[in-house]
Amino acid sequence: MIQVKALTKLYGEFIAVNELDFEVQPGEVMGLVGPNGAGKTTTLRCLAGIIPPTRGSIRICGHDLAQDPIAAKQQLAFFTDEPRLFDYLTVQQHLVFTARIYQVPHYEPLADQLLQELELAVKKNAVPGELSRGMKQKLAIACGLLHAPRVIYFDEPLTGLDPIGIRRMKDSILKRSRDGAAIIISSHLLHLVEEICSHILILKDGRKIIHGTLAEITQKFSAQAGDASLEEVFFRATGDADKGEG
Amino acid sequence: MTAPMNSALLYLQYHSIKNRIVMRIKRLKQPKYLLGAVVGGLYFYWYFFRTLFGTRASGQAFTLFASPDHQALFESIGALILLVIVLLAWIIPHQRTALTFTEAEIAFLFPAPISRRTLIHFKLLRSQTAILFTTLLLTIVTRRLGGQAWIRGAGWWLILSTLNLHLLGSSFALTKLLDRGISTWQRRLAILALVLALAGVVIVWGGKTMPALDPSRFDNLQAIQDYLQQVLTSGPALYLLYPLRLVVRPFLAPNAAVFFAALGPALLLMLLHYAWVVRSDVAFEEASVQASQRLAEKVAAVRAGNWHATQKKPRSKRPPFALRPTGSPAVALLWKNLISAGQAFTLRIWISLAVFAVCASAGASQATGGSGLRPVLGMIALMLLFWSLLIGTQLLRQDFRQDLPLADLLKTYPLRGWQLALGELLAPAVVLTCIQWFLLIVILGLFWQLGGAALGRLAWLALGFGAALIMPMLNLIILQIPNAAALAFPAWFQAAKGGVQGIEATGQRLIFMLGQLLVILVALIPATTLSGGVFFLARKLFGLAIAIPLASITAAVVLAAEATLGILLLGWLFNRFDVSAEMTS
Repeated sequence: MIQVKALTKLYGEFIAVNELDFEVQPGEVMGLVGPNGAGKTTTLRCLAGIIPPTRGSIRICGHDLAQDPIAAKQQLAFFTDEPRLFDYLTVQQHLVFTARIYQVPHYEPLADQLLQELELAVKKNAVPGELSRGMKQKLAIACGLLHAPRVIYFDEPLTGLDPIGIRRMKDSILKRSRDGAAIIISSHLLHLVEEICSHILILKDGRKIIHGTLAEITQKFSAQAGDASLEEVFFRATGDADKGEG
Repeated sequence: MTAPMNSALLYLQYHSIKNRIVMRIKRLKQPKYLLGAVVGGLYFYWYFFRTLFGTRASGQAFTLFASPDHQALFESIGALILLVIVLLAWIIPHQRTALTFTEAEIAFLFPAPISRRTLIHFKLLRSQTAILFTTLLLTIVTRRLGGQAWIRGAGWWLILSTLNLHLLGSSFALTKLLDRGISTWQRRLAILALVLALAGVVIVWGGKTMPALDPSRFDNLQAIQDYLQQVLTSGPALYLLYPLRLVVRPFLAPNAAVFFAALGPALLLMLLHYAWVVRSDVAFEEASVQASQRLAEKVAAVRAGNWHATQKKPRSKRPPFALRPTGSPAVALLWKNLISAGQAFTLRIWISLAVFAVCASAGASQATGGSGLRPVLGMIALMLLFWSLLIGTQLLRQDFRQDLPLADLLKTYPLRGWQLALGELLAPAVVLTCIQWFLLIVILGLFWQLGGAALGRLAWLALGFGAALIMPMLNLIILQIPNAAALAFPAWFQAAKGGVQGIEATGQRLIFMLGQLLVILVALIPATTLSGGVFFLARKLFGLAIAIPLASITAAVVLAAEATLGILLLGWLFNRFDVSAEMTS
């Protein structure tokens, strides 16, 4: 579903992402973790077609993102930590606009269902300025899910959500995964990643440090020191074990 | 405790200003800022500083301050203006005093062991930066009216500083009144009653002691000046305006001796205001925190490119038309941007306006007959039509310039670059075209007889049709210029939008305007050349009524081809636009 080969992104001489290879299959949830500046957000932005990679290839549902961006983007949704909304469109107008952009012919029932599920129905005539942060996040999610994407990226999905919102977000991610979507989550919240991700990719300085199923990578590090949590794996893999313990 | 605190606050203020200047100087390493600074510097020198430091003798340009009569009158008028400002400061405010601090200042200073009085001192010190800058600008402007620059500068500084202190003191006093349970309306009524009573005294006194108001005397400017001067300088008005005259007097001083004579009372008044302000013990902190939060939100939004944040918060607006879920995605962007443009841009309103334009211009044609009003109205409409081409693109920004902060979202859409570019340009182009068509109807109607007589009615109509055909294409081309600039030089564009100020930003705007004019001229060359050829050929073969529309269609086709190429280029620029590299730089 997502195939990444030799993905490299340079800013001048600075290497933000370096020769990254991985795949995410339908139903898999891959956690993208790493210290600050590891290249997680840059990677996601390249995968979403927001910024062009310097080298390498990205295929979304078989479509090359560089050669056939329209077909590839038709299959994906990207949720940023800060909801990206138009100040002057109401909740309902956001959905109408998104339906036209993604050419979703019979979107009304799905839009109504999403509004109900996300408790936005009563706010459908409100503009983002009249919504709480959590509500804005929900609206961004409703817009992103309207065209039933098969590839979904989340960048710090729990930022600003209350405990109920966090629970719902986790459930929503797992539901999309069960429905066959390939999902990538970038987060610093290792317990979240551990809880909902089937696969883990740890980045440091733009390079892939480790990639595999959660079981595989914990097993690899458990062999050294008992049962390792993802947190311990993270610190050992990134070489920051002392800092983590300290 | 106060002295070290004051020195700490002075340190903060000094280094804030110094660092800001250093940052601006460092920015000149980038060629575009350097070029902007050079052009902006030349502009400011040419229009302002040349007259301030140049060879022009003082008072040579315009001897406004030369006559003592003039000075007395201007002193009275100045005092009257100050009185209005002061009264408004006592009548209008309805909230508690809110000294505006930045969020950082609140975080550092409010919890610190700093007295309220020291905070007020800090605020006064900081307001001096703005006052000095305004003084400089006003000195440059009023220098053109004659007199010595340093006298004008010092005069402005005294006026602005005293006014600033008074506004602050009055806001403290109003807060105290609120604390004592006197409502805003009670206070407003009391002040208005006092103002009316004083005005009544002046009128009654004037009626008894001054000659009756005789409109026949107002046949020249001097008579009006004399009467006004007499009213303002005699009886109760003299005493009412006296303190305000003291504030204005140094500014109007014709020479150093008069200035220094006027300086003492003005300084004393300013010091009294200062004592009033610093001795006021009013709790402003809570209101200041709220005001600062609002300010911070606005600043953050503007820095992110959301210019709407400076206006009132957006509210839900009715869409201009029902958007179907399938069809050209570019129309979705048109729909979205028309919503952003506002309620006024619906089809129903434009049809109503067109009908109104036809009726009104026909009515004006009948009513004005052979009078000179009709050509004047027509010329105004014609002028507005031309201005719409130049200024309209700057006023209507519902395109990439508005959506640039959401470029990352736009990039995730399954649209080609040209589709996005077309969609983004459509809304301002449609709105501008509607305005221009409306003006064209008005022009055609108002010049109906004149144009019909000169060209024939059919040819006159054909001319209107031709212009209507060309306008949308021209709009699309002209709109591409600021949009291409926004995508090619996003940092520059942000600077132009208010993120960065200063001489270099002014210079950048000037360069941009010149570039825009150049591109318009270049774009018009092929269209005018080809359509000109078609016009002369068709005129010989078919006559004027056919030649005009044929030439217009040719021009429109050429402009459409240019617009298409431009949209493809704009789409290519958007595809190449590296969000993370550009927006963070």
